Amino acid sequence: MKYLIHHSLVLTAFFIVFGIWSCSTSTTEMSFDSSKLKKASQEDVEKIIESFILAKDGDVIHIPAGFYNLKTQLILDNINNVTIKGEGMEQTVLSFRELKAGGEGVKLVGNNIKIENISVEDAPGDGIKSQHCDGITFRKVNVTWTNGDKSKNGTYAIYPVQCKNVMIDECIASHSKDAGIYVGQSENIIVRNSLAFGNVAGIEIENSDNAEVYGNTARDNSGGILVFNLPGLPKSDGKGTKIYDNDVISNNHVNFATALSDEPNGNTVTMIPPGSGIVLLAAKEVEVYNNRIHKNKTVGIAIANYHITGFPMDAPNWSPFTSNIFLHNNDLKRTWRLPDLSKEFGQLISVYNAHGKGKTQDIIYDGFWDKSLSDNIETNPMNICIQEKEMEKLNFTLFDLWEGEENIKSSKDYSPFNCKTEIKTDVSAVTKL
Amino acid sequence: MKKHHSIYIPILTLSLVAVFISCQETKVQEDDFWNESEIMAAEAPEIEIADLDFNEIPFKNLSDYGFFKGKLNKLEVAEKVLLYEPASSLFTDYAFKSRFIWMPEGASGKIIEDKEGTMSFPDQTIIIKNFYYPIDFRSPEGAKRILETRLLIKKEGVWEAYPYIWKDDQSDAEYKVVGGEKKVSWIDSQGESQVINYIIPNKNQCKNCHNVNEVMVPIGVKAKHLNHELDFGSETVNQLVKWKKEGYLSGMNHPVSHYPSMVNYNDPSNDLNLRALAYLDINCGHCHRAEGPASTSGLFLTYEEKDSLKLGINKTPVAAGFGAGSFKYDIVPGKADQSILIYRMETTQVGAAMPEIGRVTSHVEGLEIIKSWINSMEN
Repeated sequence: MKYLIHHSLVLTAFFIVFGIWSCSTSTTEMSFDSSKLKKASQEDVEKIIESFILAKDGDVIHIPAGFYNLKTQLILDNINNVTIKGEGMEQTVLSFRELKAGGEGVKLVGNNIKIENISVEDAPGDGIKSQHCDGITFRKVNVTWTNGDKSKNGTYAIYPVQCKNVMIDECIASHSKDAGIYVGQSENIIVRNSLAFGNVAGIEIENSDNAEVYGNTARDNSGGILVFNLPGLPKSDGKGTKIYDNDVISNNHVNFATALSDEPNGNTVTMIPPGSGIVLLAAKEVEVYNNRIHKNKTVGIAIANYHITGFPMDAPNWSPFTSNIFLHNNDLKRTWRLPDLSKEFGQLISVYNAHGKGKTQDIIYDGFWDKSLSDNIETNPMNICIQEKEMEKLNFTLFDLWEGEENIKSSKDYSPFNCKTEIKTDVSAVTKL
Repeated sequence: MKKHHSIYIPILTLSLVAVFISCQETKVQEDDFWNESEIMAAEAPEIEIADLDFNEIPFKNLSDYGFFKGKLNKLEVAEKVLLYEPASSLFTDYAFKSRFIWMPEGASGKIIEDKEGTMSFPDQTIIIKNFYYPIDFRSPEGAKRILETRLLIKKEGVWEAYPYIWKDDQSDAEYKVVGGEKKVSWIDSQGESQVINYIIPNKNQCKNCHNVNEVMVPIGVKAKHLNHELDFGSETVNQLVKWKKEGYLSGMNHPVSHYPSMVNYNDPSNDLNLRALAYLDINCGHCHRAEGPASTSGLFLTYEEKDSLKLGINKTPVAAGFGAGSFKYDIVPGKADQSILIYRMETTQVGAAMPEIGRVTSHVEGLEIIKSWINSMEN
């Protein structure tokens, strides 16, 4: 393993010295150096493209060791029971740096598809997208970008969408401009034993049902693990996610989803403040437990409603509220670093939290609730349950943002949320993949 | 020091050679431009389409099918190979297109009574689409360079795409699944010379667009695209009527006014809203619909779409990544320059550009329509 220098170290030092800014890091760390691999010949590259195009049900597409410079997409078109295997993440590398057209490097469509022991680099858009799959396994797959300038990186690294029975196991996703591992509009999902680093979002579960995220490391992203539900999608809402036994460490990376000088755009991820461990946004039925959530400079776990984005909330079969949440038995450790000031959400936490300006928060709740259910939040209308050890020692803030920026209120009172709630998931079908 | 010198000299020599070679390469590249003089037109063999063994498809060469008679590159069609043209057409880097359809004797298509007038087709239907550039757009009937012929053939109930790439000498086109790239130049309608690297998609990329619920389908052969008059040389007549007359449509019991039709976005006499929707339909709607690959976005850009959120008005993006630029919404009414839709239609950056394939340039005229449409919306 070769580690490159954190290239904003100098800047970071500057900020520490002057103490005027919170310090986001940036990293271009590489898991290995693919430039040392033998370059595959044009003939070998075409052979791989043809093996995808001519694939039949039940094929094993074996990609020998080497560095493959692809100028066209690799697409598996609605074929079943296909395994794509390289000779290892550090041996077989598909590079899409010179891709001429297409939204993603690799696209997989079909049922019971496996991709394993392979790396994908530098796709202009997404790395590997799988769509409309029933049974899709990513195992020991590494997807990354090698640009020094991360503003040139692509969107999602590992990207199953509209799939059923998704297994992501022992994968590495790094340096994506949005989410490293992103599972969208899918159901029955396991993301386990994987590593996500240097992304804006490490692991994201969006508009999906029945997911378990465990045994992963999400470090050095802007946000570690996200559970979102966004409005206006064909799969209109999602529920049922367990996040456990993960290391969610030092997710203090600068948010490079947009240029630093730019305001956030319409992608919600552009609003994520550096220093966020776990973020729940319009999430339903989520249990977060037994995670080590350390050194995330802004907030360990954020419970947020869609209101905080400021975007329109009118969409069918979808609720902007986060509800039925159970946080317990997490190991939360703060950092000495100043929380984020680069994003509005970060400024809110840094300035208006209930523990003093510039204090990192372990858990925050933005305090919006469905007023048709109750006229006060003390009744815990959204069923937000928090049972962390030594709760009194944690920095917990409940905000009241109903009156807008002019009158932001906050409270340390966690007593309304001292409850338990049962979250059900069943991913037994996925463990067989 | 001496030691160092002895190392430097070969390096110096090497780099001089390298410079020399790279200069040479530049020259070669200039010669690389295709030239009309390369044309070595060849006579197409006499083949009856009806006699083809469909189990042997795809054939190695385009000439093996018998679609064209005489000199292949004249694209003069055999009997029963019928010209068609959608009212509005997909932008493909200013390429000209000619489209034909063939059905076996006695078999015919049917219009399904849905809102688009989708058609069902018999087995062995062949759809032929040629992509070419006239050398001078001001005389489009003059010399041209044909790049691709894409076939869609229905066998045992399933459509499959077969891409053929034309040889530079235009003598024939060969079946090639891996796609490619060709430098193409032309004189545009203003007399300006244009050069692009034309991208030929690989076979499976066809499905990026020709896709309804992951099943391969044709796009342009729906009643809504064909329900208008076309000059067939011998007569100018509504295409649906022509198809019926040729035996390519059966069960068409209503007058053409009964069937859906779409406007031509190029015709400024049409309503701006309809022109914009027609443009979005044929350029985006094959993917951006509930049954298409871009359904993930919730952005549906078909001619029939009425829901303003689904059309992108004040809709936040989902997985747009840097495709969103610095903007918040797909369409901001009255503000084309702040709309993600315009940004993605205009940019040529791979990964942000829309459509994702088939375009390395911006369609200035198309953008004008969509910009005017957005700017005309009340804020």
